[in-house]
This record gives sequence, structure tokens and C-alpha cells, in this order.
Amino acid sequence: MLQADAQEKVAGSLHDPAADTLPKLLVRNAALRPARPAFRHKHLGIWQSWTWAEVADEVRALAAGLAARGVGRGVKIAIVGQNRPRLYWAMAASQWLGAVPVPVYAESVADEMAYVLDHAEVTHAVVEDQEQVDKLLSVGERLGRITALLYDEPRGLRAYDDPRLESLAQVAAAGRDRLGRNPEAAAALDEALAAGRGSDLSVILYTSGTTGRPKGVMLTFDNVIRAGEIGCAFDKLDETDEIIAYLPIAWVGDHIFSYAQAIIAGLCVSCPESPDTVVEDRREIGPTYIFAPPRVFENILTLTTVRMEDASALKRRLYRYFLDHARRVGEPILNGERVGLLDRVVYALGDALVYAPLRSRFGLSRVKVGYTAGEAIGPEIFRFYRSIGINLKQLYGQTEASVYVTMQPDGEIRADTVGRPAPQVEIRLDPSGEVLYRSPGVFAGYYKDDAKTAETKTADGFVRSGDAGFLDTTGHLKIIDRAKDVGRLSDGSLFPPKYVENKLKFYPNIKEAVAFGDGRDCVACFVNIDLVAVGSWAERSNVTYGSYQELAADPRVAAIIREHVDEVNRSLAAEPRMGGAQIRRFLILHKELDADDGELTRTQKVRRGFIAERYAPLIAALFDGSREADIRTEVTFEDGRKGVIAARLAVHDMEPHPVAAAPELEIAA
Amino acid sequence: MRAPDGPLIVKGDVILAVENVSLAFGGVKALTDVTFDIQKGEIRAIIGPNGAGKTSMLNCINGFYHPSEGAILFKGERRPKMRPSAAARGGIARTFQNVALFKGMTTLDNIMAGRSLKMHRGLFWQALRAGPAMREEIAHRRVVEEIIDFLEIQAIRKVPVGKLPYGLQKRVELGRALAMEPEILLLDEPMAGMNLEEKEDMCRFILDVNSEFGTTVALIEHDMGVVMDLSDRVVVLEYGRKIADGTPAEVKRDERVIAAYLGQPHA
Amino acid sequence: MDILYKIAVDPFVQMAGAPDLLAQTVWEGRVSGVLYSLIALGFVLIFKASGVFNFAQGIMVVFAALTLVGLAEKGVPAYLAHLLTLAVMLLLAIGIERVVLRPLVNQPDIILFMATFGLTYLLIGFGELVFGGSPKQMITTELGLPRGSVDLPILGGLVSLQKIDIAAAVIASVAVAALAVFFQRTRIGRALRAVADSHKAALSVGISLNQIWVVVWFTAGIVALATGIMWGARSEVSFALEVIALKALPVLILGGLTSVPGAIVGGLIIGVGEKLGELYWGPLVGGGIESWLAYIIALAVLMIRPQGLFGEKIIERI
Repeated sequence: MLQADAQEKVAGSLHDPAADTLPKLLVRNAALRPARPAFRHKHLGIWQSWTWAEVADEVRALAAGLAARGVGRGVKIAIVGQNRPRLYWAMAASQWLGAVPVPVYAESVADEMAYVLDHAEVTHAVVEDQEQVDKLLSVGERLGRITALLYDEPRGLRAYDDPRLESLAQVAAAGRDRLGRNPEAAAALDEALAAGRGSDLSVILYTSGTTGRPKGVMLTFDNVIRAGEIGCAFDKLDETDEIIAYLPIAWVGDHIFSYAQAIIAGLCVSCPESPDTVVEDRREIGPTYIFAPPRVFENILTLTTVRMEDASALKRRLYRYFLDHARRVGEPILNGERVGLLDRVVYALGDALVYAPLRSRFGLSRVKVGYTAGEAIGPEIFRFYRSIGINLKQLYGQTEASVYVTMQPDGEIRADTVGRPAPQVEIRLDPSGEVLYRSPGVFAGYYKDDAKTAETKTADGFVRSGDAGFLDTTGHLKIIDRAKDVGRLSDGSLFPPKYVENKLKFYPNIKEAVAFGDGRDCVACFVNIDLVAVGSWAERSNVTYGSYQELAADPRVAAIIREHVDEVNRSLAAEPRMGGAQIRRFLILHKELDADDGELTRTQKVRRGFIAERYAPLIAALFDGSREADIRTEVTFEDGRKGVIAARLAVHDMEPHPVAAAPELEIAA
Repeated sequence: MRAPDGPLIVKGDVILAVENVSLAFGGVKALTDVTFDIQKGEIRAIIGPNGAGKTSMLNCINGFYHPSEGAILFKGERRPKMRPSAAARGGIARTFQNVALFKGMTTLDNIMAGRSLKMHRGLFWQALRAGPAMREEIAHRRVVEEIIDFLEIQAIRKVPVGKLPYGLQKRVELGRALAMEPEILLLDEPMAGMNLEEKEDMCRFILDVNSEFGTTVALIEHDMGVVMDLSDRVVVLEYGRKIADGTPAEVKRDERVIAAYLGQPHA
Repeated sequence: MDILYKIAVDPFVQMAGAPDLLAQTVWEGRVSGVLYSLIALGFVLIFKASGVFNFAQGIMVVFAALTLVGLAEKGVPAYLAHLLTLAVMLLLAIGIERVVLRPLVNQPDIILFMATFGLTYLLIGFGELVFGGSPKQMITTELGLPRGSVDLPILGGLVSLQKIDIAAAVIASVAVAALAVFFQRTRIGRALRAVADSHKAALSVGISLNQIWVVVWFTAGIVALATGIMWGARSEVSFALEVIALKALPVLILGGLTSVPGAIVGGLIIGVGEKLGELYWGPLVGGGIESWLAYIIALAVLMIRPQGLFGEKIIERI
């Protein structure tokens, strides 16, 4: 990987071998850029800020105080709460002493929290406020190990008499006092700092696995710092950058972006006033670097759309017109492609009237690069932000990788891939399609779970991501599904059901799709039409219908769906590894899949197993070559009455497209 | 040291006494010979079925109504016809059953309005926003910001309260009452119309106000669970008369109370 | 077609043909518009703070002007007379609060409205008793207000501006700005807004309604005095002014009962609108439309926006 080597040089120049732990880097910052702002926190309506010199001083005092309370090498210390400067400082202070911070999700219920704290053998806890104190005290007997319970916000805690309770401010004051009076304590503190090594454990991040108990991912300073450097170098972050820390501190994204990278690059971290004020606070701070899961971007867009509904007719017209224009030319302009002069002029006008005000409203005016990660973002949403001039990119990362696995370089940004392997990251695909990676950020192991570690890490240092994916012809990684959900056809070709279904659902006419094929000769699927979209087509084309069932059975509707399926097949055929998963037969269901009938979960996810059972005759028809299938289903009406609907459904055959040849570079990666 | 105004009242002393109060509107008697007291630093609940005269009682305490008979002693002083503004100056703040906010004004301005009595600088300086008035405004703004932080309503600081959901309006109203730095806080059904989570928040705020600032709280509430959890002592009214008075446990056992509530399953 | 032409085309041709005449007309309209605005402002202040539709606002204008002139006639120096008039307006405000508002608190709005009717006749009777019924001259010179006119060469013609009108415009602007500052920035201003919003809530935070009412009525009295001086300087001071004061009604309808900007904009629209109407469309119906055009304009607006241009809610109080 030539590119990776080049990047390594850049990262290498940033790397300072003497500062191999985050506290050392913090002290370096205090010397290198003492007066630059390091942290901000909005309190009582005003942004308070601390310089690197002040932060280093606070952390030192806190470390001295913590040392006096028994924190030392190997001690595990829980950090629980929202993003507040003092919690990050407590994290640094623990690391200073060689202790290992264990950040915990503030929203977790007492029982979950107790599990993590107990599993990590935490002896000290730093929490935000009364709410968290109450939560910890409520599981008191399970946490007999805890000897100190330190809080940031004293409100409501005055009347508590638990001897372990103490405020962080008191701890820091005591520490400062001790340092002033006792030169030995100061020397011991300096020694503790110097004793830290890059190979030391820096943090344990518990990941909430979809199944089973959370696992404690152990990351060393080397992991965190090297990974952080990758990101800093890739996006050229420096001390003039601003980030707003609002995602859970226990999430690896926040740990790397708002903590590690802040210390590595010396950029400024702003903590919002409260979880509800993030949008407003973001507008005030104007971060240059942002990181958010897709739902944050979805929410912002939804809010804007709702607000526009209430705007005056003129504003609505302008908004629609210029957004349509942006949809056509915005992305090419951002990508530096050739765009006609007139289009550019109109775009510039739109920028003045609509895009710039929108960006400023979102607090994204100054963003030089923004990332979305965590799950797949809707292509429409992704393109919306890019089209109005925000450099939003996708990345694929995992806690076990200290975030970075793949990233999108400038000019190669697409909605349907997660980018190329990040610098210094190697990617390998195993025959089942599972993505494996190896990088400097790869974790040391799961805390107290060697079996799981051995299962996840290969002998040569690669990590099994648990996700199935493939590299497309341009060398970009596409994630298709969780590896365990990916099936195989009887000829051995891959069958990722969700990937196929999502491609179908991309068409507004298709509301829901259920694909079958694991262990079968070919892929076949059920389709639910979207009554709103197809209904409006029917209205335009003078097609009359009395019910969903009637509309779904209309041959003209089938023809439309057929076209969509064909297009999906064509796009599947263009990807060598996916070509086998082309849909060969489909039928349009006579009723909408409904949560009331148990066919969908309450969060509108398809319950595949249940559907396969309920519609067994239809599935049989899909795979036995019959032209038609009869079905009787019991349904629940709106008013709770039950009824039976019977239908004869047509099964449609599809002609597959020729599959593209596999590119050679695949294994090279 | 400056002598405090009026008698010094410490925790546990009677801060407000209701003595044989009756209230009549025309021929209708809303309250009949009610006597009870409120001690400094306690949370005192006034409960009773609908139409028991609870809100009338609060209205008497803060001077909206004047008792036709009997008297209300505040800090040992008998004030026969205390006007609401005088009650407010004396340290009695309240909220209302159906929220009475300045709907056109922002959360911030509403709570600032609670500082009205504490602002003294002349019109001239105020208009110029300069000199002593500026310093005064900043000092008050700080107090108000602390209340905003306390009630966790930072996100709605600049929103006109008319646009807020009901639960938040109640919170802003509490904030406005707190801005008066009252000695007694009268809360008229602070949890009415709230969902469970909002109720829990409100309970926490009331307890915190009581423990952090030592504010005496008198509240009317329908949710018996809330009353039993929050209050130190409970007075029970029925048809304008007092039928019980004591700790939550005592009151719960009282036969007359049980009888009064049997016909009121929702209360 | 001819009538259509006369309505839709001809007036505009005339306007374009003699732009100096147009400018002169707009200016004249603006001047009376400012005065309408001031009267409407008095209404709005009182309506917002106490929910009372003060029918007597027009008469307060006359009463204030009459007191000023009457005092001057009795040999009181102009400035002293001015101060004394202010004192009279303050006494009036206190009197109204004590005698009218306080006893009638919590009564239906219509009762309070009727009370202001009574107040109107009381003021007329009292004014005539003390100062006599004959029209008087405003003491313009004594108050230091300018006289005469300036002629500006505009658009190829001469536009003549009365200096007193310029002064009126300036004084009105200053008054409005001062009121805005008073409302937005001072404690009493905040209290006024609070009272306007909810009496109950205002009481509970210790705002004294009685005090606020005095302040509001006094403020309205000051506005009335300013209006009275300006108006008196343009014609003469007599109870005939009362009729013109009623012009504030369409202004209020136009601007919305509770909106200060509404009162100002509404006044200007009506003032300019009726002058233009009289000059360009009046001849179509034989002239004299100035006296009722304002109501037509207001009605037209009501059909489109029942709450007025700036109104907060549908008017239900009157």
C-alpha cells in the first residue's frame, strides 16, 4: 500500500516519541501553546474557557488529589456523565497516575452500569451529578469495591452522608494544597507521569454488543495516539480547529475525536451547556470539525423541513428552487468537477440566499470536514448536506480499531461506500465476505475475556469486524450487512438479504421488501408497494382502484415494480461478488406488512422468520416455478377485529444481467 | 452586623399561621374556620377532594383574597388586608394551577420579571443600560441564570413561553417564583397535567429547592403518591373545613380522610 | 371602460405628470398620519396594560391642549404652564386609577368601556366650565415651536413644508423612540409588558397593578399633551378636535389594538391614504371622501386580516 506509506510519513512527522502518553502530550501542549484555548464549557449562559496551561494545571492538581485518595497504577476509575470539561480532566488525571479510566454511558440504567463497573473492577468513580450518584448508590451492595465517589455538580448532594462522596473541586483543591506544601508529592507526581509508557493500557471502552453483555475493549496509549494521529494527519487538524463534544464519552468516537485528537493536535473542545442546547451551542461555537451518527444529521434536516413548512410562501419557493438546483450541481462543485457557468452563477446566488443561511443555522458554516459514522446514512440526507457545500464524509470504524478502518478521501466521496482503507490500515476479506483489518489502532484485547479476544483477533493481528462487505471496482469498501446475517445460495455465492432489500426500498414505490435465498438456488423476494407513492401514480395515470389489494394486483403496477427490480439486478450485477444475489423471481404481496400482525417489529423492522412461516405457501411458489400462488391470511383491522383475506398472486420471473468480472486488486488490499 | 428585619425565624419555627380563617363569596362559604400552621423549612401539603377550598386557601395566603373571618399571621405579624404585592415583598411567591405566565415574553424575561421587586435603580440609568443599573442588571441576570441552570431549561432561554409545552411552562413558572428568593413558595398543583418523567423532575426540583435554599414549600397536589413522598406534614380539607392534619403516615390512616377520598378515586 | 380608466389609470398618470404635487400630498398626509399615530398610541398603551378600551383618549388630547392654553391665557408663563399641565395629567391619571379603575377591577370590560364614556363627558364638561367653550389659539411661539415654512425644490416643482409639521414629525419620532426604550429596557417597562400579558401573574411577582395603571395613564396623558400641542398649532384648540381624534379608531383597526408599531404604521397609512384618495380619486364622486375614506381602508384590511396588520389576536374586547 503505497499510499499508506506516504501517509505514514506525514503522521510520523506529527509523532513525538517522547510524548507517548496522553498526559505527557497534555503537558507538552501547556509548554507549546500555553495560551491557546483548550476547553470551553457554557455555564450560566456564558462560555467559559480554559487554556492549555490552565488545563494542565487543573489536571495536575486533580491527579495529586486522586493520588492521595488511592488512585495509582492499574486502578480502574469509572467516568460517568455528559460531556463536561472536568470529566475529561479526571480522565487525564487518572491516566497521569497510570490508572485506567472506564467511561460509562450516562444514560445506562443502574443495572447495566453496575455490570460494567463490577466487571471492570472499578474502585473509584467520577460522576457528573446527583442523578448518577443516586444510580450508583442504588446498586451499592453490588459495588462494594468502590472507595471514592467523586462528583462534578454538587447540587442536591449537600444532605448526602455517604463518606465516599466528595466533589471534584474539593479533590483538586486538596491536591493543589498538597503540591504546594509537599515537594515530595510533587516529585512523585512527576515520576508517575514519566513512568507512563505507550504500551500502557490507556482506557477500557465497553461496547454495547447487540447480543450478550457488553465487552471491555482495552486500548493502549499507542493505539489511541497512533489512531488519533491518522485522523489528524488525514484532515490536517491543528490547534486552530474547534470541535464540540456532545456524544457519549463512553463512545470510541468521542474518546478519539473530542479527547485524544484534541490533545494530540491541541485543538479546542467545547462542551455544550446541556444535552438539549447542542444545536444552539454549535451555532455559537461554529466548529470546524464535526463527527456525528446519521441520526443527528437526520434530525437537523427534519427540523429544517418542518420549519420551512411554516415559512412564508416566498421563502418556501426559494428554498425548494435552490435546493433542487443544489441537488443537481452542488456536489459536482464541491468535488471540483466541471460545471457550467450559468449553473455556477445560480449556485452562487443560492449560496447567498439559502445555503449559507442554512449552514449558519446548522452551526456548520466553518466546518472544513464533517464525518458521519456508526451506521449507514440515507443517501438523500448525505447528498443534501454535500449539495449545500458542507464537506460531509463517511467513515467506517470500530471501537476495536480505535475508530479508523476506512475513510473517504476528498474527491472520492460517495453515498454508497465508506471509503478506502485509512492510512496505515490494511483490509482483508475472508471468503465468507467478512471484513478484517489490521492497524496501529487495533486493540490489545477484551478485558478479562481471552476467549472472545482469540475469537476476534487472528494470529497475524487482524481483527474480525463482524461486518460483511466487499471492495468495489474503485477500491472502496461497501458494507453490506452483519456477517452473521449474510447467507449463501446453494452455488456458494453470497446472499446479503438486507443489502438487496435496501436497494429495493430505495425506490419510493417500494415500501418494504423481504428477500429469501439462503441455501436456495436463487434469490426471490416479496415486495410491498408504497400506497402513497403508487397511489399518486395511479391518480396521475387514471388507474382506478378500490383497495390496496386491488392496486397491488394491477398488472401495470407489476410492470413498474418489475423495472425497479431489473435496475436493482443491474446494479448487483455490476459488483462481481454481488452478482449472484440478483433477484430471479418476485411477487407483490396483497397486504401491507404490519406490526399489528406481527410481521414487523414496533420499530418497523422486518421479522423475516415469522414472515417465512406465515407465507410459507408463497415462498414455496417462489422457488417451485409456479406462475401463480394462492394465499389466505388472517389480518387484524384498525378496530381490532380479525378477518381473513384470500388472494391469488402472480409470480414474476426476472432475466439476470451478466455479472461483471472480478477485479484483480481485491486481494492486494 | 445588621439586625435582620423583623423577628428571626429558624428552622422548625412557625413561619405562617392560619387562624380560624373563613372565606365566603356572597352566601357561599369556601373556607370555614380553618386553622393550621407552616413551619420554616418544611414541605407542607394541602390536600383534599375537588372543591375543598385548597386554592382559595392559597389565594388567602398570598393576598388575592381576604378572609372574611380569622387571620393569617406571616412571621408573627398579623396583616388583615395584605395585598398580593405586599405578600410578594414579604417573601411569599406562588405558582398557579393553570400556569399564569407572561406568554408573549421569553423564559428569560419571565424569570427576570420575578426579580421586579429586587431592582431599584432609577429609570434613567435603566433606560441607558449604564452605570449602577447595568451592574444591577448583570447581578440579577446571574441569579436568573443560576435558576435556569438549576431547572435545566437552558435550551428554552430565549423562547417565548407561549410556545412551550405545558410541562416546561410549569417549570418556567417555578423559576419565576424562585427568582423572588421567597421564604415561602406556594405551589398550586405543580404536577398537574404532566407525564411521569416530568413529574419526577418536578419532584426533584421541589426537594432540591427545599434542601438547597431552605425554602419553605406549601403545595396543593392531587397525586397522593407525590404528596406522601414529598411532604413533611399534610393538612386535609373537605368542603372548606379541615378534617385532618399531621404527617403523611398519620393522615393516611385517618378515617375521615379515607372516607373523604373514597368518593374520589382519581385523587 | 371609462370609469375603470378613471379609477385604475388616470390617477397614476396624474401622479406621474406632477410628481411635486404628489410629494406635497404625501407629506401632508404623513403629517396628519403622525398625529393619528400619536392618538392611537395612547389607546394602545392603555389597552395593553389594563385591557380598557379608552374612549376618552381623544378628549384627553383636547383636554391637555385646553389646559395648557387656558393656563397661558391666565398669564402663566409657557413653560410653567407646560409643567402644570403635566401635573394635571398626572393628577388625572391618579384620579382615574382611584375613582374608576380600582373600584371596577374584575368587572367586565364593557363596564370599564362605559366608564371611559363617562370620563369623556366629565372632561368635556369640566374643560368648558373652567376654560370656556370658545376656540383658542395654541401658544406656539411661546413654546418655542417654529413657524413659517420651507420650500424645497423637488422633482421640478416646489414642495412647501410647514416648519411646525417638521417639528411635529421630529417630536413624534423622539416620543416613540423614548417609549420603546422605556418599554424594552426599564424595570417598569418590563412590568408594564408583564401586566399587559397576565394580571394574575404580575400580581404574584409583586408588581402593583395600581402603580402600573397610574404610570400607563400618565404616559398616555403625556402623549395626549404632545398630540394636543401639535394639533392645536395646525388649527385651533376646541372640542371640535374630538371628532378628528375619532380618526384613531380606523387606525387602531388597521394596526391592531395591541401593537405599538401597528399604531404608528396604521396612522401613517391612513393619513397618507386619505390625502391621496381625496386628491386623485375624490373628484370621481364629487370630492369630500377624506372624512370617510379612512374607515373604508380599515374595513378593507379587516376583511383580509381580522386581527389588523400587527394585531396579536382577534379583537374581542369591544
